[in-house]
Amino acid sequence: MATDITFDELRAKALQAGLELADDDLLKLLPGVNRARKQAAELRQFLSDATEPAATFTALKVDKVSPP
Amino acid sequence: MTADDLSYLTISEAAAGLRRKEFSPLELTKACLARIEAIDGKLHSFITVTADRALKQAGEAKKELHSGNDRGPLHGIPIALKDLYMTKGIRTTCHSAVLENWTPDHDATAVAKLQEAGTILLGKLGMHEFAFGGPSVDAPFPAVKNPWNTAHIPGGSSSGSGAALAAALCYGALGSDTGGSIRTPSSHCGVVGIKPTYGRVSRYGVVPLSWSLDHAGPMARSVEDCAILLQAIAGYDAKDPASANVAVPDFRAQLKDGIKGLRVGVPRAYWFDENKGTDPETEAVFNAALKILESLGAVIVEIDGKAFSIARKANQTILVCEAYATHEKTLQATPMKFGSSVRRRMLEGAFLSAADYITAQRARSVLNDQICANFTCVDVFATPSAPRPPEAFESMDPNEQNLRPNFTNPFNLTGLPAISVPCGFTSGNLPIGLQIAARPFEEATCFRVAYAYEQATEWHKRRPTL
Repeated sequence: MATDITFDELRAKALQAGLELADDDLLKLLPGVNRARKQAAELRQFLSDATEPAATFTALKVDKVSPP
Repeated sequence: MTADDLSYLTISEAAAGLRRKEFSPLELTKACLARIEAIDGKLHSFITVTADRALKQAGEAKKELHSGNDRGPLHGIPIALKDLYMTKGIRTTCHSAVLENWTPDHDATAVAKLQEAGTILLGKLGMHEFAFGGPSVDAPFPAVKNPWNTAHIPGGSSSGSGAALAAALCYGALGSDTGGSIRTPSSHCGVVGIKPTYGRVSRYGVVPLSWSLDHAGPMARSVEDCAILLQAIAGYDAKDPASANVAVPDFRAQLKDGIKGLRVGVPRAYWFDENKGTDPETEAVFNAALKILESLGAVIVEIDGKAFSIARKANQTILVCEAYATHEKTLQATPMKFGSSVRRRMLEGAFLSAADYITAQRARSVLNDQICANFTCVDVFATPSAPRPPEAFESMDPNEQNLRPNFTNPFNLTGLPAISVPCGFTSGNLPIGLQIAARPFEEATCFRVAYAYEQATEWHKRRPTL
């Protein structure tokens, strides 16, 4: 399970992501980020190894081929 | 007929009146423009009003109809568009300072189709900024108000579409729906809105929020009107990679077939009670709506709601990741151009990993299977459209929003068609909606159930005092 990130970790990650945000903005952002991370982590609990993502690449989409 | 009565006609009633020559497209358009002028200062449902263009189009429609060149039930009908549909030569803002002065050079496919159908464009409607976050308090345009009580939110993100319809400022509108953005304002404003199946309506020219969850769809004051609008905009479009090459049926063909024997699944267990649960008044109104469906011959089947409940987590994870990816460059370059609400929600996606996103898409596969497996024992799902009535702006708590069950998300995740139809009012006279979802590409079933319910009740006939 993902642990909460701290304010300092959030600030460092923001800079790595090319985001220059004021400390005040980062503070307001922190609860939402931790909630989103927790939510994403919870989804892992009920997946089996065989489950593929809903979005998969298809080399040839039949319905996109123009008629001869 | 009073001016109010003219404005509150449904599209099907207006279309019949036009053909009986009781009024002209010009009179319908002038009635809408006069009402926008008189009322919209209180509601802020329009960002841009295209009055000159609308009057010109109305004049042309009048001539065409008189000469027998009839393009169908939308010919001469004034409509409006959520301001994320690209409109050639008309400003398209997404209710944001980021696009405050952007004028596209082409129309969205749905817009072009409505134009071909002969509609008259009244203008562009307010929304939640970039269809995300909440009512915008720091955007360049004011937040849209609820016509039933302007101290309350109209729901979003298609807030202007819901408010303008409820206030009879237009006869039909387009919205978009990534997590409930058509159905929630429809519910909160007492109108009808359908999120069609993913792929049914082209999203080409609709400014994206989340590619794999975004749906384009219609809103109106009656179920039949929604069917008429969907008929005009549905269909395959090679310009949209997600567009489905599936035949479009006549959405009105089964409208009056009734619902005798139809099995209505109610995924109440593990879902309606989660966290802070469904508002008791909303659930009571919903239960009364089920009784009406039962009296019309439907069979109510209680089903497990666990997969529906988990769906919200997958939907939210995918949404914030895709929304951040969509707007990453602008968030890096000029983050303060976004309003605070939408900025914070989008930025959540910057701090999730690739594995988080893929996990959510894997969960989507499993949840889609689990939810659709119910179709072996039911024909449709029914829930309240929203877990509680529209809140007052003053008491809005964005954190609490995430603690209530979300009844709309699962149908974005699964792509299933889902409609909201008015099903009652709170003791404070605020509307409540009933949501009906059906199998993929069975919008006609949504319409049939919603129409049967609508015709058996009087809720849709109420008008807000403005």
